[in-house]
Amino acid sequence: MRLTIALTLVLLLALSACHPNPQSLRKQLTLAVVSGVEGEALKQAAHDYEAQANVHIDIAQLPYTNLFEKEFIDLKSRTGAYDLIMLDDPWFPRFASEQLLTDLSPLFQQRGQSGPDSDFIETSIALCRHPYQTGSLFALPYVGNSQLFFYRKDLFEKHSLKPPATWNDVLAAAKTIQEKESAGANGGQIYGYVMRAEQGNAAVADFMPIFWAFGGEMFDASGKPTVNSPEGVAALELMLELGKYSPPGYVSFNASDVGAHLLQGTAAMSINWPAWISSFNDPAKSKVIGKMEFTTLPSGQKQGQAEIGNWLIAIPRDSRNSADALDFLLWATNAQQMKQSAQRGNPPTRKSLFNDPALVAKNPAYAAQLRSLESSRPRPRTPYWNEIENAFGIFLSKANSGDLSPTEAMNQANAEIEKILKRAK
Amino acid sequence: MPKSRRFLSAQNRREWLLPALFIAPALAVLLSLSIYPLIYSITISLQQETSSGAVWSVGNFKRLVSDNFFLTAMVHTLVYAVAALGCEFLLGLGLALLLNSKMRGRGLFRASLLVPMMLPSVVVGVVWRLMLNPDFGAINGTLRRFGLKTESLTWTASPKLAMLSVIAVDVWQWTPFVFLVLLAGLQAIPEEPYEAALIDGSSRWQTFWHVTLPLLKPSILIVLLLRTMDLLRVFDQIFILTEGGPGFATETISLYIYRTAFRFFDFGYAAAMSFVLLALTNVISVIYIRVLHEPQKGT
Repeated sequence: MRLTIALTLVLLLALSACHPNPQSLRKQLTLAVVSGVEGEALKQAAHDYEAQANVHIDIAQLPYTNLFEKEFIDLKSRTGAYDLIMLDDPWFPRFASEQLLTDLSPLFQQRGQSGPDSDFIETSIALCRHPYQTGSLFALPYVGNSQLFFYRKDLFEKHSLKPPATWNDVLAAAKTIQEKESAGANGGQIYGYVMRAEQGNAAVADFMPIFWAFGGEMFDASGKPTVNSPEGVAALELMLELGKYSPPGYVSFNASDVGAHLLQGTAAMSINWPAWISSFNDPAKSKVIGKMEFTTLPSGQKQGQAEIGNWLIAIPRDSRNSADALDFLLWATNAQQMKQSAQRGNPPTRKSLFNDPALVAKNPAYAAQLRSLESSRPRPRTPYWNEIENAFGIFLSKANSGDLSPTEAMNQANAEIEKILKRAK
Repeated sequence: MPKSRRFLSAQNRREWLLPALFIAPALAVLLSLSIYPLIYSITISLQQETSSGAVWSVGNFKRLVSDNFFLTAMVHTLVYAVAALGCEFLLGLGLALLLNSKMRGRGLFRASLLVPMMLPSVVVGVVWRLMLNPDFGAINGTLRRFGLKTESLTWTASPKLAMLSVIAVDVWQWTPFVFLVLLAGLQAIPEEPYEAALIDGSSRWQTFWHVTLPLLKPSILIVLLLRTMDLLRVFDQIFILTEGGPGFATETISLYIYRTAFRFFDFGYAAAMSFVLLALTNVISVIYIRVLHEPQKGT
């Protein structure tokens, strides 16, 4: 019996040691950020904020692939562990539709403000509303990525080609460059185009701008999937044509494979993201210094549109410090702080910064980036995007690897998307 | 109170208390980390989310039958397991027989054969992904040296070669394990049966078939069981090499379960698939044991 009492005492002692320390009266915030340049900038900002405000900020930094599952499980089980989270914009509908985020509009009103200021780019703010564009505000945009079209200025001039304005121009230029450059004056083969057709996110991201330019739509007005429309099939046919001028094995390429080909100067054109731009002028990595040009996406029957890919910051619904969290959120996304973030390598989400002379001098592609971002489109706003993107990507990849014809691939993709939506109901 | 409930007597209680206290921590850990999650996963596999909350249903199991992705992933898993296991077993057995004889430098040879097995699967995946790269990889580079055309050899990017590539990588990594277990089995076989066979004038082939193989059965059983279980739940190598691609060409059941659970957050369906995989593994194991394990027929 004595033993039981002794054990109980030990246990109680151990538990009391875990009790929170009542002395820490300093405010406390916990942040979930992504590894890499986007999260690094926010982390730096948090350190600066700690120094000036009486707040202690804990930071959980997670790699991209784990961030979503970590945040989602945490918010879903309502632990209140995080006060601020970074979100990739395609995840946002899932979080917002499951009511896991704090509605910022009432918080703005409490402060006598109607909402975020008008310097934010409309397409970026639209992502933070649920429903898209029209609903309440649940986040603020922090990093303003959108796709750009990359091409080799020197090769276009050499073969007297016009800058690519339409997808047919792209195809023709890819053909010319591949034919003329394979004869190899300097011995090297240059591929006309390079893309990612790895199933999942990669294939879908590289296909959507073609799909939209051809007039394709993933859903019709009633929400039924329509990827197998004639426009959709035609867009996939063009993707396969471009595949003929892509390096062998492009069906399993991811971002780093594409980056390697562009940096080595072995491919002439690509759809890519602004994060790559700075590496082209890095002599340690690049063989194409000063030869790359960046522009908006080519058109088809419709004006070309880029896929938008913004990092958002939101406050979880179960955060216990939402007022302090909003203070930090507004501070980190103000023009002055976002300029810091831009200097650390992240495209901003404010118009004034895209026109800021100091930033433009360092980032010559800013003009193109702003045009691309302002005319960009989000991935279809659905909570089931992860599942739909996975299925769609598999069939795009299958068409590119020659397993399925474009029509078959699009029909099967459509049927699969229909199944996902039906199940979700 | 009936007399039979004597354990309530004070003395008995004291005798019972101390052992119970000692067992309690282990039992608590087992219950919380193993039994509870198992019951929980059975529960969620039998529930479905609806707008009015979770309801009991066998919908997750019904969905398996009509899910083409699941069925294809299942076929891929079986093809992968059978092909890899066959190659690993035959190669491992051949190597074990070869290195069981006394030849020069066999110590060095044995040691170098074990290297792949010591590497983490993730490292193996990354190394092979680089070697199999169609443009910059060592394999196509070597083939080009010999003047071979490598344009069509896109390995992990080709729907025809991708499965072959991932199987080859597993064979490379795990043949040494099969070899090691079988070699240990061979060395445990006593000399006498061989001497008897020699005296009876049996040929080498007959000796192998009637003496070596039957006596090696316990080792074969172990190696087949362990490898089959590993192959059916393969994840890391394939995830790194192809992520299930191109298209769906190398998607195995574990990858699909992972995606369903941690990308689509459909834990119920993922749990249902896991139970099917568990059942399959059990059935195969029982078959192995039935066929290969003979109870000792007297002494």
